[in-house]
Amino acid sequence: MSEVQKLLEVKGLKKHFVIPGSLFSRSKRVVKAVDGISFDIQEGETLGMVGESGCGKSTAGRAILQLHKPTDGQVLYRGKDLTQMGPEELRSLRPDMQMIFQDPYATLNPRHSVRKIVGEPLVINGRMKKGSAELKDKVAELLVLVGLDPAYMKRFPHEFSGGQRQRIGIARALSLDPKFIVCDEPISALDVSIQAQVVNLMQDLQEQLDVAYLFIAHDLSMVKHISHRIVVMYLGKIMEMTDRNALFENPLHPYTQSLNSAVPIPNPEIEISRQRFILEGDPPSPANPPSGCVFHTRCPLAIDECITVEPETREINPGHFTACHLADNKGGSKIISPEKSREVS
Amino acid sequence: MSKILQVEDLVTKFYTLDGVVNAVNGVSFELNEGETLAIVGESGSGKSVTMMSLLGLIPMPPGKIESGTAIFNSKSGQCDLLTLDPEQLREVRGGQIGFVFQDPISTLNPILTIGEQIAETLIRHKGISHEEAREQTIKLLAQVGIPDPELRYKAYPFQFSGGMRQRVVIAIAIACMPKIIIADEPTTALDVTVQAQIIELFKELRDALGVAVIWITHDLGVVAGLAERVLVMYGGRPVEIAPVGDLYKDPKHPYTLGLLGALPRLDAKESKRLESIQGTPPDLLIPLKHCPFAWRCDYAFDRCWKEIPPLIKVDKQHQVACFYDLEGGGPRNE
Repeated sequence: MSEVQKLLEVKGLKKHFVIPGSLFSRSKRVVKAVDGISFDIQEGETLGMVGESGCGKSTAGRAILQLHKPTDGQVLYRGKDLTQMGPEELRSLRPDMQMIFQDPYATLNPRHSVRKIVGEPLVINGRMKKGSAELKDKVAELLVLVGLDPAYMKRFPHEFSGGQRQRIGIARALSLDPKFIVCDEPISALDVSIQAQVVNLMQDLQEQLDVAYLFIAHDLSMVKHISHRIVVMYLGKIMEMTDRNALFENPLHPYTQSLNSAVPIPNPEIEISRQRFILEGDPPSPANPPSGCVFHTRCPLAIDECITVEPETREINPGHFTACHLADNKGGSKIISPEKSREVS
Repeated sequence: MSKILQVEDLVTKFYTLDGVVNAVNGVSFELNEGETLAIVGESGSGKSVTMMSLLGLIPMPPGKIESGTAIFNSKSGQCDLLTLDPEQLREVRGGQIGFVFQDPISTLNPILTIGEQIAETLIRHKGISHEEAREQTIKLLAQVGIPDPELRYKAYPFQFSGGMRQRVVIAIAIACMPKIIIADEPTTALDVTVQAQIIELFKELRDALGVAVIWITHDLGVVAGLAERVLVMYGGRPVEIAPVGDLYKDPKHPYTLGLLGALPRLDAKESKRLESIQGTPPDLLIPLKHCPFAWRCDYAFDRCWKEIPPLIKVDKQHQVACFYDLEGGGPRNE
């Protein structure tokens, strides 16, 4: 792994939001949306980030791109710390780092034509002149790249379907030849058959352009499909991080196991005979997270230590990290023991 | 098994300023007692409008039910849901047919307590006293897995999480021991661990009460572990009806095949490229004279562009609306 260059390194990233006290109470509350996460992304890699709503996955994506000013921690892009940069320096790096958003309806300016939307980054960054033939050709090229007819250039966003709008968003993100794209739930708003189109497109583009993705989503099966490695988040912290197959074949953290277990598999034979573990309750509020391990309130294996001591992230197997006191390679953190599940199947 | 609901040739249209939206174009299906039927389709496939039509919840105008019958075998005899007057419909809705919608926060009244909203249904349909209703409500709250039901009776919807709110809506749906529960995307707004809880609760209640369930969803994963039969809709028409096992093992319609291919599988060892369906769903403003899926279908041939394929039986319980025989690899012999 050391041979592949680290494109991005996130070290102890924190983003806390302060909720001001109300008229009647002076006390301020702090929501620890992202609370000390560390990981890295290699060139041309897809890192998946999963978690339920409120786990801080979107905030993490934005804090990495400095769209939220991080409270603490470092974000190193090719060794340079983004958090210490001034606005000018940061702007010079922006073309390398782009973002694709969830809602393609809200992220395209309704008064701009597709040509303007896709070409604007090139004009702003001084790469091409507004109205030039060169710019028009580049926009046409980008539209072809994402599978749209260049004749659509003069149209406006409302004339497109959801999937097509997401393609426009992708074309815009690609216009400056980025190295890294944060994709924040890029397919959640789309229908199943359209999701597959967009995911295939993203994978093709990665192959052609060698761009790295941070793919943020709540749909575990889709994240598994597209990612090389996956980070599982819960209440602002990383629970587990490993490559895609290990996460599903040998999940170590009880939360990952219950997430896996909760995802339905589109096959009735498997679904009926499958041994399930269903988590009770809801995720606690990030404004008032539990002590010790944040997952202890819902964890079926929690021991006293989990309530008081926050578990450190440990590397259990090479490249397989988890933050659980019980995790080892003998199945200490397994909710359903491997023997039992074999009996059932 | 006796049929509890039989829908024949339902057609619902919306007369809007842009033109006539052909939302539901001839839907027929039946529901047996105690059975779970899933209706699967993408947005705009007409799955929700079908159910809203049955419940008399289509705003008219602009909506209009053009034709069709929906024979409901109720406790007090047969009736056609589409011809009931508003008063009779109110008796059926919430009484003999319960329903659960996608978004629990907009289903519940924000200024009434949870308990009042459940008790209201009981008082209205069963004509019991407030005290009795309160007692039964507390039992219902316990039954749907809400802790401290006596305390929670006085709570307001905003004090509940999404999953708990959906439990309350389910309590309202089952309050009067309905014969049918219609659930329209009841878990779509929920997180995956909470979704698993709600599905489990549904299964428990269904088995305990012997109620028939119509489960509307776009998620073929959820359907696999829940339904007995599946109806796949596309462009306002049913394209395939089959027992759940047959549908996944042996899909007969190219659209069903495509949908299954478009789903990533958590249990897959290798990440294969997803099979996407080209193009987008049909524009419902244009009345169709041919198969609604023909534009996106890899197997379409000249007949598909001339006629609308009717639902035909290919097996005892398996019906499909397609001129092409996927197994035989050519036009279907009739």
